[in-house]
Amino acid sequence: MTLFVQQLANGLALGGIYCLAAIGLTLVFGVLGFPNLAHGALYMLGAYLTFFFLTDVGLPYVVAILAAAVVLAFLGVVLERLVFHPLRNSPHTHHMIATVGVMFFLVAVVQEIWGTGFLRMESPVNGQVSVAGAQVSWQRIIIIVTAVVVLLLLTWFLKRSPHGQAIEAIEQDRTGAALVGINPSMVSMVTFAVSLALVAIAAGLVAPINLLSPGMGDSLSLTVFAIIILGGLGSLPGAIIGGFTIAIAEVMAATYISVGAGEAAIFIILIAVLAIKPTGIFGTVTQR
Amino acid sequence: MTHLTGRTFKKMAAMASVGLLATVAACGGSGEGGEETIVIGYSAGLSGGAAEYGVNVQNGLKMAIDEVNEEGVEIDGKKYQVKLESLDDQYQPGTTGTNVQRLVEKEGASVVFIPHAGGIKAAQELNSGRTEFLIGAYSSDPAILDADNPLTVMIPPSFDSYVQPFIDKVKKKDDAKLGLMATASEFGQEWTKTTIKKWEESGGEVLAKNNIDYGTVSDFAGPVAKTLAGKPDVILVGGPSQPTALLIEEAREQGFTGAFLIADQAKFEELEEFTDPKNLNNSVGIMPLPLFEGTKDFIADYQEKYSSEKPVNADIALNYQALPIFIEAMKIAKSVDDPKAIRQAMPEAVKSVEGVFFVPNAVTDKGHLQADGLQAAYRNADGQYEPFDIEQPKE
Repeated sequence: MTLFVQQLANGLALGGIYCLAAIGLTLVFGVLGFPNLAHGALYMLGAYLTFFFLTDVGLPYVVAILAAAVVLAFLGVVLERLVFHPLRNSPHTHHMIATVGVMFFLVAVVQEIWGTGFLRMESPVNGQVSVAGAQVSWQRIIIIVTAVVVLLLLTWFLKRSPHGQAIEAIEQDRTGAALVGINPSMVSMVTFAVSLALVAIAAGLVAPINLLSPGMGDSLSLTVFAIIILGGLGSLPGAIIGGFTIAIAEVMAATYISVGAGEAAIFIILIAVLAIKPTGIFGTVTQR
Repeated sequence: MTHLTGRTFKKMAAMASVGLLATVAACGGSGEGGEETIVIGYSAGLSGGAAEYGVNVQNGLKMAIDEVNEEGVEIDGKKYQVKLESLDDQYQPGTTGTNVQRLVEKEGASVVFIPHAGGIKAAQELNSGRTEFLIGAYSSDPAILDADNPLTVMIPPSFDSYVQPFIDKVKKKDDAKLGLMATASEFGQEWTKTTIKKWEESGGEVLAKNNIDYGTVSDFAGPVAKTLAGKPDVILVGGPSQPTALLIEEAREQGFTGAFLIADQAKFEELEEFTDPKNLNNSVGIMPLPLFEGTKDFIADYQEKYSSEKPVNADIALNYQALPIFIEAMKIAKSVDDPKAIRQAMPEAVKSVEGVFFVPNAVTDKGHLQADGLQAAYRNADGQYEPFDIEQPKE
């Protein structure tokens, strides 16, 4: 039982990270219609920026994460203007190739600035709390709480604010939204900014329990793609439910079957869901 | 500039880049006046997650090469400059194979250093066929010697020597339980296999295998909780130092008070940098380089040369002192491009080379550098290192 509680806490923390990363990816897909393959690299950059603001600038932990989120949001706007906007009339294959270019570029930049080795970010909050006999570290509790708060804020943003509503409108019908006067360029920029800010928060939260390295986004990238396909491409509730489902399945399979089964579990679930519902749990997006 | 249309600009850019390429190519062709070059090849992971290890070994080799060049190299009456040619393989054995071919056939290397077991095995399949080259193999996996490859020289001590003495240090009762959490690489799997065998031979119980890929796992908490659920007395860990440190920390935080048996890829001096050193108490592993006698000057020189404050470990030192042996062997063989002759001259060459610690004094028939005085260390409950001698099996 203790083991179950312990692993449930670990699974929820991992799920929070997956969610934040997956929502950013699914938003870009919903609005712009192509997968951002640089998402893992942006996550990695978010972690390094948090490290920079915390260690080199000396900001408090939460402020450092927010600062990293702001920088990445700005980078999102720049990327949209410089890379994706000029490609708006080309086939989506071009966007995908451009995202691969962005990925290699970011990895190279980080290697140049911070070197290729591992970095350790000191955990700003230490200690554990005992929950039903299990030892759960405060950092993991912070991850779970922050993920929930950010998800609530995001829901409010999308449902209530004009920019958020514009994003949803474009997701539902691009031409229709343009006809009622929504500026697609503006929405693209806002989407990139929100997506990158979210992935920076995910990275900032995970940094203290993980090591920073230029390759840290690679494995996350694959998992997050599995999540958004599982939840339905472009679907927000899909990304949230998919994120927690996959994380808990991964941890539980690793615990009760074998460590190798953990990674396999992700894709077994994915295949099972797709066999029953090919668009994913909440998927409505079909080939446009 | 305003008259410059996009098209002419593109044309000019294209011409400029062609010109630049031509210049670069021309530079590559010319040698340095009068002296010829000995190219030493090197293929390792120089980018990506675990690049630090590849760069460490590279720095050790470079430092040795600079010193060799300063002294001057004369082989069979001709003067030479030694040069290190490095290629990145990200520890993918397939890429190592490609790199090695290129280093040998294009760059003319007759000695190639490779610091990872998978890459060494790939190169061993290539080095005695169409192309011949000598492998400077830096990995403690004994399988490298079992391949019976006539053109391989294994540099570090084999980890076979460590397993039993390590177990003797941390196994306090006959039926003690062993948890398994070494990294999932080929090296980690081999360590795990050997440790399981010896642990069971001494009557202990071995728990489920929880080897995880240290490079890709996002959170160690899950696998650690699973391992601890089996109530181990000792846990085998080990991969690159930094993630190993994180794993150890996680286990201590979840309340593990037993001992760690640390595979030789992880180094105490690096682990200390990445976690509170207290977490490392009650662990056995290879001895930190500064504790070996006579390593102080080398460490200071290295840190100055690379303006580095990072710990200097055995990987750096062992490669640093191995390289001159190969050059010495070339001198004795009076050849820079006959790998067989160079290999044959190795037993003679080791005798005249000085080193930092654990200085080789013989080469076995299988091509393993031998030295006396191998030690490992147990870090006790007070955080003190207790060195102990490791007896090396005769080969």
